[in-house]
Amino acid sequence: MNAKKQLTEGLITNNPVLVQQIGLCATMAISTTLFNGIGMGLSVLIILTCCNVVVSAIRKIIPGQVRLAIFVVVIAGFVTIVDLLLQAFIPALSSALGVFIPLIVVNCIIIGRAEAFSSKEGVFLSFRDGVFQGLGYTCVLVLMCLVRELLGSGTIGGGILNGATSFFTLDGTGAGIRIIPEGFGAGALVLPFGGFLTLGCLMAVMQYALRKSNEKKARKEKEVKE
Amino acid sequence: MFASIVTISLAAILTNNFIFSQFLGICPFLGVSNKMSTATGMSVAVIFVMTMASAICWVINEFLLIPFGVAGFMQTVAYILVIAVLVQFVEMFLKKAIPALYSAMGIFLPLITTNCAVLGVVLLNTQNNYNFLESLVDGFTGGLGFTVAIVLFASVRERLEFADYPKAFEGFAICLVSAALFALAFMGFSGMRIPV
Amino acid sequence: MKKAIDFIKPAVILLLVAAVVALVLGLVDMMTRDRIADIAEQTKTNAMKAVLDAESYEQIDLGAEAPADIDEAYAAEGGGWVVQVTETGSQGAITMMVGVDADLACTGISVTTSSETAGLGAIASQASAAGDAFRGQFVGQSGTVAVTKDGGQINALTGATITSRAISTGVTSALALCETLG
Repeated sequence: MNAKKQLTEGLITNNPVLVQQIGLCATMAISTTLFNGIGMGLSVLIILTCCNVVVSAIRKIIPGQVRLAIFVVVIAGFVTIVDLLLQAFIPALSSALGVFIPLIVVNCIIIGRAEAFSSKEGVFLSFRDGVFQGLGYTCVLVLMCLVRELLGSGTIGGGILNGATSFFTLDGTGAGIRIIPEGFGAGALVLPFGGFLTLGCLMAVMQYALRKSNEKKARKEKEVKE
Repeated sequence: MFASIVTISLAAILTNNFIFSQFLGICPFLGVSNKMSTATGMSVAVIFVMTMASAICWVINEFLLIPFGVAGFMQTVAYILVIAVLVQFVEMFLKKAIPALYSAMGIFLPLITTNCAVLGVVLLNTQNNYNFLESLVDGFTGGLGFTVAIVLFASVRERLEFADYPKAFEGFAICLVSAALFALAFMGFSGMRIPV
Repeated sequence: MKKAIDFIKPAVILLLVAAVVALVLGLVDMMTRDRIADIAEQTKTNAMKAVLDAESYEQIDLGAEAPADIDEAYAAEGGGWVVQVTETGSQGAITMMVGVDADLACTGISVTTSSETAGLGAIASQASAAGDAFRGQFVGQSGTVAVTKDGGQINALTGATITSRAISTGVTSALALCETLG
């Protein structure tokens, strides 16, 4: 398995959110500003990579009957570490994401990758898998945030850009760059309604694109044969 | 006391419905809502586990984690372990004691461990400083809210099978769009206030 | 005999993994605990200074019969009070600091924690022009504060009546408490 194939799998063909359709809860709940999206995406990326490496390293000594319990404990451990570090160093992000940081424990992406990939493969492959799958997750989150924030509140980069003291800020005061004048956004998009709708449409776009590319591939193969 | 319990129940079932306004438990919600019978089976299992988990985790937090001063960093680990063990026990107990019920909800039980509504309700109970009774009520009514959402949605999905929508929306995509309309409808409850 | 080993081995490994995790978490907690406490303290003092500037604040013992929504109250040096109130908003608890001067008028509010909807209710806690404008309305208010929809003086945030209502209720409670203190 080469790195390029793993990367395209993580980002597109086997994207955790749009294709495997797991880890949807947090994706919809926090994708309201760019700050939340990038923060959540990177947190998941780090936790996923660490868990993949540890699970892969101890995969030979894990007894089958309690493997899920062990995965869950390892995951919960890393999640708590990230939670504490965020509270200590980026408190604004920690309060914005709230309960969704500890809830990464039950994010199906992490336990899913542990069960399907890292408990079977070597440490290095698992590390790469964690990074690429995490990247795929982060990309979808950022995309969701951009759409919902731009159309809903009319800004881009809410939370991290255009802060009170500096242009790029991590203290959560960023107002974002206003594209659509205040009061003209489709406010419902930042509500739960918008979360469901945006993700549903993104999934449809992805399915359309994947099917088109598959059809193209099939046609090419047919031409080659003829 | 009575007022706070009514407020919690109403919030958990309608105004802050776990699925339509808090985005907790989406995976099982989409996964098993394709048939009415599986939806009700899952709901019963969720109500049961959520109520039990709320009660047990409250006790553990109050009498184990807080006295030893480790509540800040062991909470998540302890809670998820409690849920995992609880699910395992319920499964074993049902298999032996009530085989009929086991065959009805058995396959859903392992899924509940990774249902974020269960861990979510327990964490939120702690965050909101609920007492034992309030946690219990929140767990039970949270499960009821999940049931309302999933049963309503299952009946819509049964009709979706005959609907004519673009092919690209097949599968979860059309479900999410329908769920969006549900979320919009549930927003109507958010103006509700309990006169105290 | 083999059966017993089959049963014990997984349990021991699970226990070992849990122990290692607990140990690591304990270490991380030791490193971050003071910093997290400092940040919480700092946020609180900043919020108090923002609503009513004073050299020092002295906590008032409210006793058991304080209203349920009041968390803490402080007497500011040089007159006035700062009250921490928690109300239920649309997405959960909203905790705010309310400054009250010696004449029982509100000197300012600051929302310290809330989980309101981004772009709507969350504006109440943001350091933006819209947030400042909303919070500014409370300055100078006294007696009962309510949103215009309920016959009061506060223009609610667009699409966030519940948030605005909760904050108005909080300010009213704080003002009422200070009346009993003063």
